[in-house]
Amino acid sequence: MRILVVEDERKVAELVSRGLKAARYAVDVAVDGESGWAMANTYPYDLIILDLGLPGISGLELLRRIRRRDARVPVLVLTAKDATTSKVENFEAGADDYLTKPFAFAELQVRVKSLLRRGPVSQGGEVRVADLEIDRLTQQVRRGGRRIELTPKEYGLLEYLATQPGRVFSRTMIVEHVWDESFEGLTNIVDVYVRHLREKVDAPHPVKLIHTVRGVGYSLSEDSAA
Amino acid sequence: MRLRSIRFRLTAWYAGLLTIVILALGALLFLHLRSYLEDTLLDTQARRARQISGTLVANAASTGEAYVARQVAALYDPERSDRFIRITGGDGRIVYLSGVPNSQAFDPAAVPAAPASINGEFRRRQKVAGAPAVLITAVRAEAGGTPYLVEVGTSAAPVEALFRHLLLLLGLGLPVVALLAASGGYLLIRWALQPVDQIAGKAEQITQHNLSERLPVPSTGDELESLSVALNRMITRLDDAFLNSKRFVADASHELRTPLTILRGELESMIQEGAFPAPDRERIGGLLEEVERLTMIVERLFALSRLDAGEAQSEWVRFDLAELASTTAGQMTLLAEDRRIAVTCDTGTPVMVDGDRSRLKQVVVNLLDNAIKYTPEGGAVRLRVLAAQGLAVLEVIDTGVGIPPEDLPRVFNRFFRVNQTRSQHPEGAGLGLAIVESICSANHGEIEVESVPNKGSCFRVKLPLAA
Repeated sequence: MRILVVEDERKVAELVSRGLKAARYAVDVAVDGESGWAMANTYPYDLIILDLGLPGISGLELLRRIRRRDARVPVLVLTAKDATTSKVENFEAGADDYLTKPFAFAELQVRVKSLLRRGPVSQGGEVRVADLEIDRLTQQVRRGGRRIELTPKEYGLLEYLATQPGRVFSRTMIVEHVWDESFEGLTNIVDVYVRHLREKVDAPHPVKLIHTVRGVGYSLSEDSAA
Repeated sequence: MRLRSIRFRLTAWYAGLLTIVILALGALLFLHLRSYLEDTLLDTQARRARQISGTLVANAASTGEAYVARQVAALYDPERSDRFIRITGGDGRIVYLSGVPNSQAFDPAAVPAAPASINGEFRRRQKVAGAPAVLITAVRAEAGGTPYLVEVGTSAAPVEALFRHLLLLLGLGLPVVALLAASGGYLLIRWALQPVDQIAGKAEQITQHNLSERLPVPSTGDELESLSVALNRMITRLDDAFLNSKRFVADASHELRTPLTILRGELESMIQEGAFPAPDRERIGGLLEEVERLTMIVERLFALSRLDAGEAQSEWVRFDLAELASTTAGQMTLLAEDRRIAVTCDTGTPVMVDGDRSRLKQVVVNLLDNAIKYTPEGGAVRLRVLAAQGLAVLEVIDTGVGIPPEDLPRVFNRFFRVNQTRSQHPEGAGLGLAIVESICSANHGEIEVESVPNKGSCFRVKLPLAA
């Protein structure tokens, strides 16, 4: 999978490409609109990550040109504008998804993954993490064979954490995904739900599956170091 | 009418000055007229006295005093002409004394004798007991070595009556004139100040939201024109200052994003690469929490600058405020339960409003979040939505710590925090309520707050109902 990162801030570009390379993607970096356009024309990229505030050809202009040439390549927009207002114009210009700076790297990875798959993470089937079983069809949760009763939101949270065991999810990501909207005040709720979830899922067992990564977020994993 | 108002003071000065002028004029007229009239009367008496002394008394030695007395009575008929005539001989002997005049103005017998030490002609205003004064001219005469004193007088009653009348006229007329002058002056001043009122009214309508507007300038070339021009210049300066500060907030919050992205990204990768032992990861986590807090402040400032720029109308929809409130309250109930705070939601019938739904949801979230945060464990938070007097009203009432009265006017200011909460909740930035207020006014609504320290607060949002 080859990804083009068009970002004029070298440090941000480096950060993104380093993280993506660590996730085994091939990454090219362009630091302005012209070279970005040239590279997008030269190589068949699987995904383009595009910063909107570019010198030279603006990010929006570049996005329009890319769309005129190739309607299918997914484009993830990085923007310094706030989410609610630029949403409409970004999608109108042809972006497939967008991230507002400053973003959590975990979030970038999730979006990249889902854009490359061209569709949401699979909805069916059963997920297993250690002795925890989540049945996505019946929305039933068992641990060590014993049924655990969860409220719909608790279930949503657990299922989301279980989509990529070991990955750390930020509070913002959790709120946006589980509650389907993002409000500052609501991110506090995540902590409360996680605590409730821990009481039901982890408290009776010696091996803890839900982990807090201070300053980053939460993860679900058998491995306590993750 | 206030005593210190320019209208009242000008009117008072105007009426006061006019009264003083009238009084001075009256006094001058009064004194001058009085002495003129009395002098004229005394002149007439003097002429008569000289006639009597020159023609009759001078010959008394040859004609006899009785003849003189008869002649005076016959020629001058003092009783009918209301006149006082007295001829006194050298040793105080009365040669002639006129009778009581027909008008009964005075009793001649009661008129005291003239002072002894007078020479030539002597005029006096003789007071008579129980009657108006008598104006008397006395003239010395001599016949055959006998000195005589001829006194001719007339009652001052007509002059006094005239002045009494004049005084009455002045006394009654002055208040009327002063009142007329005062009300005329008042109306004139009001008329003159009316344009100032209009300018003030228009200036009042210019707030921070329509600073681009200007006052109309009357091209009258007077103080009013320069007042309007001066006010407009001031509004321009204010407008510039506001624009600068808004641009600053927008630019600052924008420019801070990239460094924050780098900070956050690098710190996150340090944690996740697992190259550091656990205690260091904890410290990096602490740094990340601060980055998150900075990010939150930047986000809020950015939201405020967007609202300042009037970008709330972009997602204008019609929706049920009651439904929004109860959904949001439902989402946040767990947060409250966690602190053993009961959240109740009184929403009956749908309350439809037009506005930016997601931003108004932020209002409910921020208000509820504050209410839960600042209410001690075991307290209660009540959310009410109702329609009243053409307005949609949303109230968030808590039993929390409240806000000190001196801080109430400033709770919606940017970066304002009540001192007490600064220490107890260091994670806030004092922007939540500023955002709430900006969103309310962007949605043509307003927010007000009532609070009693240690009893609780009530935040009330009023929005126009959907037509």
